[in-house]
Amino acid sequence: MKNSSWTYARKISQSFCLAVFLWLFLQTEYRGIDQLPYPVSLLFRIDPLAALADFLAPGPFGWQILWPALLILLGTVLFGRFFCGWICPLGSTLDGLGKVIGRGRRTFSPGWRRVKYYLLIGLGTATLFGVQLLGLFDPLAIFLRSLTLAVYPAYNYGLNRVFDFFYEHNVPLLSATVKNSYPFFRDNLMAFHQPIFALGLFTLIIFLTILLLEKVEHRFWCKNLCPLGGLLGLCSRYAILQRTPQKLCADCKSCDSLCRSGAVRSSGHMRSECLLCMDCTGFCPEERVHFGLRTGSDHYVGVDLQRRGVLTAMASGVMMAPAVRIGPVTHEQNPYLIRPPGAVAEDEFLQRCVRCAECMKVCIGRTLQPALLQAGPVGLWTPLVVPRIGYCEYNCTLCGQVCPTGAIAPLKLPEKKKNVIGLAVIKKDRCLPFAKGVECLVCEEHCPTGEKAIVMEEKELLVDGEIRRLKFPRVIDKLCIGCGICETKCPVEGASAVRIINEGESRRKRSELLAGPYG
Amino acid sequence: MTGIDRRTFIRQSIRTAVASSAVGCLPALDLLALPAIAADSPPLAVRKGKNIKQLVKETIGALGGIEQFVTPGEVVVIKPNIGWDRTVELAANTHPEVVKTLVELCLDAGAKQVRIFDRTCNDERRCYTQSGIRSAVEGLKSDRVSLEYMDRRAYKELAIKGGKAFDRWEFYMPVIEADRLINVPIAKHHSISKLTLGMKNLMGVIGGNRGRLHHQIAESLADIASVIHTDLTVIDATRILVANGPQGGRTEDVRNTETLIASPDMVAADAFATTLFGLKPEDVSTVVAAAQRGLGVMDLKQVRMV
Repeated sequence: MKNSSWTYARKISQSFCLAVFLWLFLQTEYRGIDQLPYPVSLLFRIDPLAALADFLAPGPFGWQILWPALLILLGTVLFGRFFCGWICPLGSTLDGLGKVIGRGRRTFSPGWRRVKYYLLIGLGTATLFGVQLLGLFDPLAIFLRSLTLAVYPAYNYGLNRVFDFFYEHNVPLLSATVKNSYPFFRDNLMAFHQPIFALGLFTLIIFLTILLLEKVEHRFWCKNLCPLGGLLGLCSRYAILQRTPQKLCADCKSCDSLCRSGAVRSSGHMRSECLLCMDCTGFCPEERVHFGLRTGSDHYVGVDLQRRGVLTAMASGVMMAPAVRIGPVTHEQNPYLIRPPGAVAEDEFLQRCVRCAECMKVCIGRTLQPALLQAGPVGLWTPLVVPRIGYCEYNCTLCGQVCPTGAIAPLKLPEKKKNVIGLAVIKKDRCLPFAKGVECLVCEEHCPTGEKAIVMEEKELLVDGEIRRLKFPRVIDKLCIGCGICETKCPVEGASAVRIINEGESRRKRSELLAGPYG
Repeated sequence: MTGIDRRTFIRQSIRTAVASSAVGCLPALDLLALPAIAADSPPLAVRKGKNIKQLVKETIGALGGIEQFVTPGEVVVIKPNIGWDRTVELAANTHPEVVKTLVELCLDAGAKQVRIFDRTCNDERRCYTQSGIRSAVEGLKSDRVSLEYMDRRAYKELAIKGGKAFDRWEFYMPVIEADRLINVPIAKHHSISKLTLGMKNLMGVIGGNRGRLHHQIAESLADIASVIHTDLTVIDATRILVANGPQGGRTEDVRNTETLIASPDMVAADAFATTLFGLKPEDVSTVVAAAQRGLGVMDLKQVRMV
């Protein structure tokens, strides 16, 4: 297959964008500066689907953050789905790995193409009615989430094992070289702490499934399933970029089998399906294909969105809200449902969070973990504070800095230090002084608030028939912010003797607080 | 030749055995502690002053200079307290100027390499930066100095001979293998061991679940100190934390004492530091346990003030 200069330009753009996103991904880490110097969440700032989620969520639209997404939309209206062909990192990954995986050439019934539109319409309607699940299917969220929760941790693990092997075994010639290269990898290309995520394997399986769909059909995901592709497709209806010839040529029909998005039909060029990869300008044996600004006649050919299908998708979206609301209120059912500092109230949080995992990537305490069902079925992949794995670092405000949709508000450090995400509760049946009659103060020692939220009080306790004077920890509720370091560091094996619960959190409505004992 | 007969020999042996075991049973007489009393009186230098650089030089100078402890070509480990994500004025970490001056002295004495690290409680990147120690050390611009993050692979489980709380623990091998160890804690309040000083600072070079040490803090720290040999202890009391220790967080809890304590005997240095808090060495159980084990001298009358 011959490549045109357009194809080369497109490949360079794809490689460049992918490299920038991967570089930003690596920069989504604390590197000694409290304020991240790069716009690490750029990927979502140019994501029209994230902008749609934000637009439909309660509260004002985040113009300051999300204006680049509107530029992409504007560009799409003018030129078509250039984003899918030239920028999208998931699309580029599929193009790049397609050769490795092996490409299927099956053609599916054209009805499959409607799925992405129905998905977009259904999810969009649901968002309008208060249940936002766009992030589950957003290609950029899928890409970053898979990278954060699965690919990067696995890559780190593998590299660490290699370096460890050469650290422990002295292999002639090799060991010295590997050892010398270690500092460079450690400081630039690896995570500071090995990332650990509860849903790593699950996320990986989904990512691999999307990659393996290439075996079925080239860009299966983009053609048939991607709701962002659907949104961009809808926007490109009046694009001024026109392909000539518009139809398959009677004498050749190469485009029918070679076009990766199957956008050229005998009825015409399907603008909303064309990824603008420009390959056809190269592989056309007669060099007939050209792209240019629309002149004169244009016969629009699109996917036939059947009225019945659209209505069904909308109805499903409308039904989703009551279906979710009939469940019990999750944060009342699950006292361990703790959200990062700055998180907006739970209902709004679920509507804003696009499950991109940026916050989990940047969290230096490794406390932010993806939820499976802890926040209800619609809370899948939303960030949870899991203090037994890690704690919320007292002087850190990174998660709010990277959140692209305002689900976690950026807090200034003094505000963050007062933001209550939960409350420590001492389990007397596990806590060493209470349960075993021996000294311990680890929770008090690590408590970071200036005036400690955990204090030690000396009392007498009868242990094995003798009276011992021991110090017992007690939580001062009004000083505790729920950072969870006490739970992380508690030396009791297995479950901690201090647990953080979501009582008294700042993000609940004031009235609720005033009614309770924490007003 | 007038030898003793078999009968007398057996009788005398039994008598000696009974007598010595009876004496050994008495809790007051710890046979292991005996060498401590017999040891030479260790030198202890205490100086006061506002200029930290000068203060460090004077205090070390009083002990005969850093050359007493570091000889050319040696690998020196300096172990400050960098445990917390706190700024200098909150007195949770060793003062960066104290660390920097000690490094300079070691370099001047011809040390081949000076390594600095701590197993921190908060995120190590934050602690190293926020404590001011990173910028102080990097400001020296010497390739013989390195402020390092602890390498998770370099811990090794070692046997603790005569350990009372533990018979094995994981230790950080670069400390064990270094030619010299200079322990540079900051004097602070602590709610179980009352104070954290030189012995407590050594918790920063061990691995494992350190929280477990608090069940028997005194004996545990003595166990650790019996494995790690310290050549010099310099206690930073330029400002001390008198409450809400060991990480503080409020300037109200900080007292400016402008003092530096140095001694090759860690126990003696710790013992003296207790007096800054209005305590006596015997009030702090870790000091007592270490002295009983013969790890140093806690009786301030037996030390040689220089």
